[in-house]
Amino acid sequence: MTRPAPSLPTAEIAISQDLIDGYAAVSGDFNPVHVDRAFGAASAFGSTIAHGCLPMEPIFMALQRWLGVPALPPGSTMDLRYHRPSRPGDVIRLDAATPEADPGGGTRIPFACLNQAGEKVIEGVAVLPAAVG
Amino acid sequence: MVDPLTTFEAAEIGRPLREGHIRLTQADVDAFCALLGYDDPAYRADAPGGPVAPTSMGLTFGLRLGWEADVFPPGAIRVGDRNRYGVPARPGDDLTTVLTITARFVRRERKFLEYEMVTRNRTGDLVCSVAFTAIVP
Repeated sequence: MTRPAPSLPTAEIAISQDLIDGYAAVSGDFNPVHVDRAFGAASAFGSTIAHGCLPMEPIFMALQRWLGVPALPPGSTMDLRYHRPSRPGDVIRLDAATPEADPGGGTRIPFACLNQAGEKVIEGVAVLPAAVG
Repeated sequence: MVDPLTTFEAAEIGRPLREGHIRLTQADVDAFCALLGYDDPAYRADAPGGPVAPTSMGLTFGLRLGWEADVFPPGAIRVGDRNRYGVPARPGDDLTTVLTITARFVRRERKFLEYEMVTRNRTGDLVCSVAFTAIVP
């Protein structure tokens, strides 16, 4: 693993109903709020919404690219909160802070995943198990 | 139909509720990578040293178990995660996921359950531990 850049690269994911339906297929999560357009339209959201894991993808993509590895190092953690759902048509992009030393000896990266309006969809902290950089 | 013992009112807190077993295939990894746009050669069947799955694929194992085993109620809304990632899953791995409901509470008249899904490979190494809180109907 080469020494990474000071900041994470950009990453984003475009949410579509096809992507949501595909994620339902690979995860087995056919919750009607994701895949049933009529159910979604009648719900408090007014439409289907993406699985929570989909707007998380940019942080995985960016961390793996930043580290130059295909999977996160064992012992990596993420704590996060979902602030609002993402819907078909949304583009979710990562807004990551500069990585910093974690008191536990690792590397701490606060991040948010924002929609195209700049609204927080997810806010969280990723911690890598070792100092990086 | 959702198992009554997994509902907000009757959930058995802290006792493992379900155990699921899957053999991860290269086709599974290929499908996940194609869907999400992962194109690193390390995910391909001919990767030197053998392929691995992207870390985020680990999130799907607990979801699959929870839905296929009728634990998650339709309409559940995920509000937060505390996740830990271990060794990468690899095609050919026999993976075991154990699902536990770890907490139940009411806040602002909404019902919440906390679910934990821990996935390990055949040698017992942690692949991922996904703990999420959901608003349930």
